[in-house]
Amino acid sequence: MFKNAFRTLQKSKLKTFLIYFSLTFSIASMFLISSISHGIIGMYSTMLQTDGDIIVTQKKIADTFFSDVDIKLLQSIKKIPHVSSASAMILGASPVETLPIVAVYGVTQNRFHNYKLLQGVYPQQNQALIGTSIYKQLSDKTKIQIANKTFQISGVFKSEIGFENGGIVLNIKDAGAIFHKSASILLLTTNLNANIETIIQTIKKLDDNIDVKSTNSFVKNYNQFKIIQTSSNLISFLAFVMGLISIISIMSITVAQRESEFGIMRAIGISMKKIVWSLLVEALILGLSSFVSAYLFSLVLLAIIKHTPSLQGYVNGVISLELFLWIFVSSLLMVTLGSIFPALKAAKTDPILLIQGNKS
Amino acid sequence: MITARTISHRYNNDLALKKTSLHIAKGEFVAFTGESGSGKSTLLSILSTLLTPTEGDVFFLGKKVQEIHDIDTFRKENIGFIFQFHYLIDYLNVKENLKIADNSISDARVQTLTQKLGIEQLLEKYPNELSGGQRQRVAIVRALINKPKVVFADEPTGNLDSKNARIVFELFKQLSEEGTTIIVTTHNKQLADFADTIYEVSDGEL
Repeated sequence: MFKNAFRTLQKSKLKTFLIYFSLTFSIASMFLISSISHGIIGMYSTMLQTDGDIIVTQKKIADTFFSDVDIKLLQSIKKIPHVSSASAMILGASPVETLPIVAVYGVTQNRFHNYKLLQGVYPQQNQALIGTSIYKQLSDKTKIQIANKTFQISGVFKSEIGFENGGIVLNIKDAGAIFHKSASILLLTTNLNANIETIIQTIKKLDDNIDVKSTNSFVKNYNQFKIIQTSSNLISFLAFVMGLISIISIMSITVAQRESEFGIMRAIGISMKKIVWSLLVEALILGLSSFVSAYLFSLVLLAIIKHTPSLQGYVNGVISLELFLWIFVSSLLMVTLGSIFPALKAAKTDPILLIQGNKS
Repeated sequence: MITARTISHRYNNDLALKKTSLHIAKGEFVAFTGESGSGKSTLLSILSTLLTPTEGDVFFLGKKVQEIHDIDTFRKENIGFIFQFHYLIDYLNVKENLKIADNSISDARVQTLTQKLGIEQLLEKYPNELSGGQRQRVAIVRALINKPKVVFADEPTGNLDSKNARIVFELFKQLSEEGTTIIVTTHNKQLADFADTIYEVSDGEL
């Protein structure tokens, strides 16, 4: 059966190529869209979860960038039993030189250790620590202007998180002066035996204007992530449908062109089940080869995207095992549906009509 | 063996076959003759289970065709088909074409039949390497390879010269005498004379 499937595919090289090409394009689109959205969510989640079992934000805000929390709360929070550390962050963004937007992080000193120094020192007042991706693109490597304020570059850091590696770290007071707030979020870690829910309730009592969640819960329920995830799922679904339509169209033409072959097969006693199966095997061979090509193509493209300076490392696709398996199953489903529908249509037709080219 | 009861068939609005009834006995050699478009091929297609009649019923080996559960296996076990055009699968060689429906067919059986039709040296060749006559003889062997109870042949000698056409009809006659039911359509009155029964089909009627 596999031998015959390969022979059939070789016989119609153009059609085989067209199906292979459209499938590869669709599957690669699914890989790229999903992996990039997973990557964005993953980067931001990792950033929040670093030194953060619990996150404090302003109540009822749509995005952490708009959050405004009083940094003075840190003093009270640090006194709560089982809280081992607490830090504050300001999340902002600003144009820098020719770059239209660069993430700016104002952090308390106890978060500096999260940024691995490659050169220089951590920033003091009026100094900035620059992520590797941004540093490479600066024309002036000694100072940087953020919102009409000039900062001396104190050092360069490297981070595995693309958003950080493509960002600038300031002392939280300097960032506060730029963004007119004392903190965007507070992050705290707890002891292993801590009851997180009790701590959350304790913190909530400190200020009516704050929302407190475990970081895991925050990440799961963060609206921006939901929007990214939903958009990504929708676009992936569209790519799936595009691929499905392509394969159904081309397989319909293939089946139509091979009607007499299927008709004669049925006339001499080959079951429609066997004919459908042979079509399915052909489609599966195409599906699997397209999947492998799309996977490899996506890996190459993601690597290129990751190292494209103009993207500042913000677009960083991650193909997890779960995503790999999900797209693998979707690809198989796509080729199965795409080949079965035209084959079943042929199965319902009298063999003589297939042989004669469906003249009725 | 085969009974048709008031069968009719329409292609869209064209009535190709009109309320036809007939009975064909086991081992009978039947020929349908008539002009092109007379309805003889439609009748043959319906009798051979390849086409569902618009009206009427066909009984094959005592079973109503529309009620046969696994019609493909039924065809494989009971029916051999020969068409005017060979309809060989072009990506399979001759031997693979002959064994396409049943790979368990013995090489001896293939050898016997191909020798009878003079194509035993063509087994490894592909259809596009054969002449029209050779392809048709391969198609005839394919129809007979499973030792069918009934052989349907629609203008089987259309692509053969008169000598080979005669060989084919002599083979049909021999098969019929051995108990195989043979049902053919042909324009050729001389070849039709090989048959036990000749039906003239005209304007969709016998």
